[in-house]
Amino acid sequence: MFFHIVLERNMQLHPRHFGRNLRENLVSKLMKDVEGTCSGRHGFVVAITGIENVGKGLIRDGTGFVTFPVKYQCVVFRPFKGEILEAAVTMMGFFAEAGPVQIFVSNHLIPDDMEFQSGDMPNYTTSDGSVKIQKDSEVRLKIIGTRVDATEIFCIGTIKDDFLGVINDPTTA
Amino acid sequence: MSGEEEENAAELKIGEEFLKAKCLMNCEVALILEHKYEQLQQMSDDPMNQVSQVFEKSLQYVKRFSRYKNPDAVRQVREILSRYQLAEFELCVLGNLCPETVEEAIAMVPSIKQRIVLDMQTKGRAHDDDAIERMLNDLSLIKKFE
Repeated sequence: MFFHIVLERNMQLHPRHFGRNLRENLVSKLMKDVEGTCSGRHGFVVAITGIENVGKGLIRDGTGFVTFPVKYQCVVFRPFKGEILEAAVTMMGFFAEAGPVQIFVSNHLIPDDMEFQSGDMPNYTTSDGSVKIQKDSEVRLKIIGTRVDATEIFCIGTIKDDFLGVINDPTTA
Repeated sequence: MSGEEEENAAELKIGEEFLKAKCLMNCEVALILEHKYEQLQQMSDDPMNQVSQVFEKSLQYVKRFSRYKNPDAVRQVREILSRYQLAEFELCVLGNLCPETVEEAIAMVPSIKQRIVLDMQTKGRAHDDDAIERMLNDLSLIKKFE
């Protein structure tokens, strides 16, 4: 799920950036530093939408750098265990992508009546052939586990539940 | 982390911080990111170089999975859903997935049922289903007239 939240960060600024454009320099450095990063707690920072407040700077001993506490609003993407969302299949086996997050759906978490067909266009198909999951399909899945490492969040999903599964097949669309 | 309850969106356990935060539906995120992308476009010739991969992927994702494209419709969805005393998170899941039946809505957002039962213990289950049904009807109307 995407959220709009307020985060705080201490920004260190080199004295050469001081002057009339201090604030602009601070904001552009903040965007460069923060956008695109990921933390386990807040998820992926997609975009900064506004600066709430820039606090008083504090000169660092010995270096001349100044640290400013900056409060900013941003759009983050944070997946939660138990959340249901829609995602696009990227790789058979299969993996799906919801924005910046990769979600793996293992064989055990795919309904039993769907079977894997290998070949040039690998896919999962039901025994009667009515439903097919392949690359670029859109699926609705439930996140059942998340793993967080320093720069990425990785999810395990399931489509073995009511109202989950394919919502759009690229070949029939 | 010590003492922290395991998260589970189905029971609305998403942590204090996110529970209070404003959630965004995919269609709202699409509006925000597109606006930001346009701003970047005016500043440089090659905006795709300026943005992070996370931004790019998110923009593609929300464009593909937005139920409502028109900004007025997006506003209406939020307005209508907010009449039903939903948590922000529940509101956005419903707005994103647009379930068609009451059963589906409850499967998508199990916490809505618990909440309504808690709030209206005396009124019984039938009424809750009615409320959800009305909500879904309102939603599908917006889609139809978009």
